[in-house]
Amino acid sequence: MKFISLLILSVLIVVFINPIAPFWIIMILLGISSALVGAKGASSFLATGLGMGLAWLGQTIFLDFSTGSQLPYQMGEIMGLGSGMVLIAITGVLGFLLGGFSGMTGSYFRRLFKKKPENIYRG
Amino acid sequence: MKYFSFIFVLILTVALAWVISNPIGPVPPIAPLIDPYHGFWQNMYSEDELAESELILEGLTAPVQVVYDENLIPHIFAENDLDLYTAQGYITAKHRLWQMEFQTRAAAGRISEIVGDVALELDRMTRRKGLGYGAELGLEFLQKNDPETLSFLEAYANGVNQYINTLTPAQTPVEYKILNYKPETWTAYKSLLLLKYMSDMLVGDRDLEYSNLRKVLGEELLNKLYPDFPVENDPVIEAEKVWDFTPIEVQKPDSTNFPNDDLVIEPLPQPEKGTGSNNWAVSGSKTKNGNPILANDPHLSLNLPSLWYAIQLTTPAYSVKGASLPGALGVISGFNQNIAWGVTNATKDARDWYKITFQDDSRKAYKYGEAWRETTFRIEEIKIKGKEAYLDTVVYTHYGPVVYDKSFRAERQDVNFALKWTVHMGSNEQKTFLKLNKAKNHADYNEALDNFTAPAQNFVFASKSGDIAMRIQGKFALKWPEQGKFFMDGADPKMEWQGFIPNDQNPSTLNPERGFVASANQHPVDPSYPYYVFDNSYEHYRNRRINGKLRQMDQITVEDMKTLQFDDYYTQASEALPLMINLLGTVDSSDEKAQVYLKLLSDWDFYADPNQKAPTLYYIWWGKLYDQIWQEWEDFGVPVVKPNSFQTIQFLKNEPEGSVFDLGKTPSSETASTHVRKAFEMMLEEMKEWEEKEGDFTWANYKRTTIQHLVPQFKAFSVANVYTGGGGGIVNATSGRHGASWRMVVELADQPIAFGVYPGGQSGNPGSKYYGNFIPIWAEGKYLNFNLRNVDDSEGILFQTTLK
Repeated sequence: MKFISLLILSVLIVVFINPIAPFWIIMILLGISSALVGAKGASSFLATGLGMGLAWLGQTIFLDFSTGSQLPYQMGEIMGLGSGMVLIAITGVLGFLLGGFSGMTGSYFRRLFKKKPENIYRG
Repeated sequence: MKYFSFIFVLILTVALAWVISNPIGPVPPIAPLIDPYHGFWQNMYSEDELAESELILEGLTAPVQVVYDENLIPHIFAENDLDLYTAQGYITAKHRLWQMEFQTRAAAGRISEIVGDVALELDRMTRRKGLGYGAELGLEFLQKNDPETLSFLEAYANGVNQYINTLTPAQTPVEYKILNYKPETWTAYKSLLLLKYMSDMLVGDRDLEYSNLRKVLGEELLNKLYPDFPVENDPVIEAEKVWDFTPIEVQKPDSTNFPNDDLVIEPLPQPEKGTGSNNWAVSGSKTKNGNPILANDPHLSLNLPSLWYAIQLTTPAYSVKGASLPGALGVISGFNQNIAWGVTNATKDARDWYKITFQDDSRKAYKYGEAWRETTFRIEEIKIKGKEAYLDTVVYTHYGPVVYDKSFRAERQDVNFALKWTVHMGSNEQKTFLKLNKAKNHADYNEALDNFTAPAQNFVFASKSGDIAMRIQGKFALKWPEQGKFFMDGADPKMEWQGFIPNDQNPSTLNPERGFVASANQHPVDPSYPYYVFDNSYEHYRNRRINGKLRQMDQITVEDMKTLQFDDYYTQASEALPLMINLLGTVDSSDEKAQVYLKLLSDWDFYADPNQKAPTLYYIWWGKLYDQIWQEWEDFGVPVVKPNSFQTIQFLKNEPEGSVFDLGKTPSSETASTHVRKAFEMMLEEMKEWEEKEGDFTWANYKRTTIQHLVPQFKAFSVANVYTGGGGGIVNATSGRHGASWRMVVELADQPIAFGVYPGGQSGNPGSKYYGNFIPIWAEGKYLNFNLRNVDDSEGILFQTTLK
């Protein structure tokens, strides 16, 4: 449940805030969200990573379809990647890594303040 | 443990963010480039997808309406000139900011700031030629003499800067993102710099080469091989023109001692071959509708974003439309309700070199007559990306900057040469265009041209009232014969230019009897013109073709003029090839291809159309032949120029057995025929290679017309292998990298009927659909409608923006 909420939250943050803020603000926001939602480290990594990765990937694919511009293919050539598809993939992967690590950091941050669990079973 | 893992992941995250935010060597920061909301992905939008119906532009006195037609050509409707130029600056920057900035940085010798020390030599060259110095003088000139033009330039700068200030990372041109730098403030100075840069592109000199040739060949042979006028001179101003003024006398010194050093310094870069232009106007007596028709096509390097930006500028007083230069005010080649004008380059040796004798190593003084004159030092600080700035000291004399000295391109010599160039004299070219934009008649045109200094241009003119005219305008030095053809001794005051030809004695003509005026960079005048005229690079083919056609034509229509602009007739081939085939004699080559090629050549109609094969064969054969004939020129060991193709063909025709064809270094005696046969063999070899490697050798496939992005490394932003005909020396002068950079045909009817096109598109953004959308139209010789628009015309509108 936490995973799904964090994933959706991440996508929303990227889609609505990234247009007006640079990527590093998004990273901080994803870290904070992840700390607030409180999923485990690995699960946070995956949720925020997929959130940002998919949102970035979605945006590039949307631009590709809606504008019909040749720019990704040209950029791919200039950057020596051969094709625009590679560039789309790279954008997605980069989004995934940036989002994922941000989320994981947030999750680990929350863990710092979590009460120690040893008393739970001793009543 | 949990602290450790938190800190570990935090560091990893921050490190990742840092790495992708910073450049790694030449690689730009990845994140700002690739972030789909701010990076290059955002440059995929075309302008119509980002259309805004209202924009705030401060400093306007009244709202300005901008109407874009379906080709993204802006039509700017303003209440007054200041508002108009503010809007022109804003709108031009919106579509061409990176290009404007890049070109002025190149003109200022500041490319190293962007790309690092690979451009240092280029920047030093630019600065040592004194382009920045010339622009500073231009600015001073305006401050003193023409505050009005200066205020317009400042309005334009204001418009550009307001665009820069509102620029979001997403809409920043993609080149900034790749090269990782930011636009800087625009100034009036930069606009002037751009016009100086045009001078530099169009003006060359061969003083160094001629000085060497004079030494190697001697005067007599030099004059035979490089005559000042060709036999078939068909000049810009009709040869019948009678010069009805009393020329100023030019005193030739009794003795002229040219410096006699062996000049092995590296010559300045010259304007590229193929840089030239055509323009003409036909009078109503020769046209079908009885209206004058004017045509202009400047030939320049074919680049993207295009050098030209189409625009209409309208105030209640006038409405002008045509091609503008991003960074400069107004329209450069265009028309208004009353007149049309166009430009071609009027090459005329405008740069001269003086040998400077310094008093001592400190270079604080140089010899002039019997005295020593003081120099001034200009320190050029060249900032270099990723490195310490480079300080270059340039010594200035009263002639101009000492371009070549011990620190620059002269390792083997301690000679110093100063450059005298009209670009270093305060002038006001911008005003010429502002006045032309508003001109109503021939008198206005003449008055506008009086302000023009450099680069000298052939200004063609036609008016609704029925006048056609041509005037060669520039600031031309009064020279005695051969002055400035060779390097001169700067210590000898007799070598100075003796003033300037008055504007009203510059060659011009109004309504000549033949019913047309035309220029194509050929000799400006007939030898009867009373002043000395010299340049190495006059055209010998396009001019004769154009004049020949115009003499014949009658009942001319706009369509005829379009056809003439796109004319592929290869005059040079038509004159050389029959001689070559004749001199070749019978070919007993076992190479069966030889017969096939010969057949193709013999059957050729001399049109260099894209699908023809013969032009390729001729082009290679001729190239080899030319190199064969003048091969000894390579052995001189100093920079020289070879006799031009026209002169070479004259020798082939008139003295095929003559001594010019004999190579001194061989015991045998060569004739034209020897070289023709040898060149034919060489052509067979090269063709064999080409056919094996590339197969098809049709003309378009061979010449491979490429429209190159201003950063040649950005190959993907260039358009290669454009299928189109023409070539160097052909009216449709489209070669591999040069050609008609703008074509315009205007009929001066009650309402002007106008057509134009250029090989590019209105947008400077490679991601936009308007980046190169004119190229296919241009390549086929077709045109866009360029008629003037009214603010309330409702047809063919892409979108509109109100600036207030």
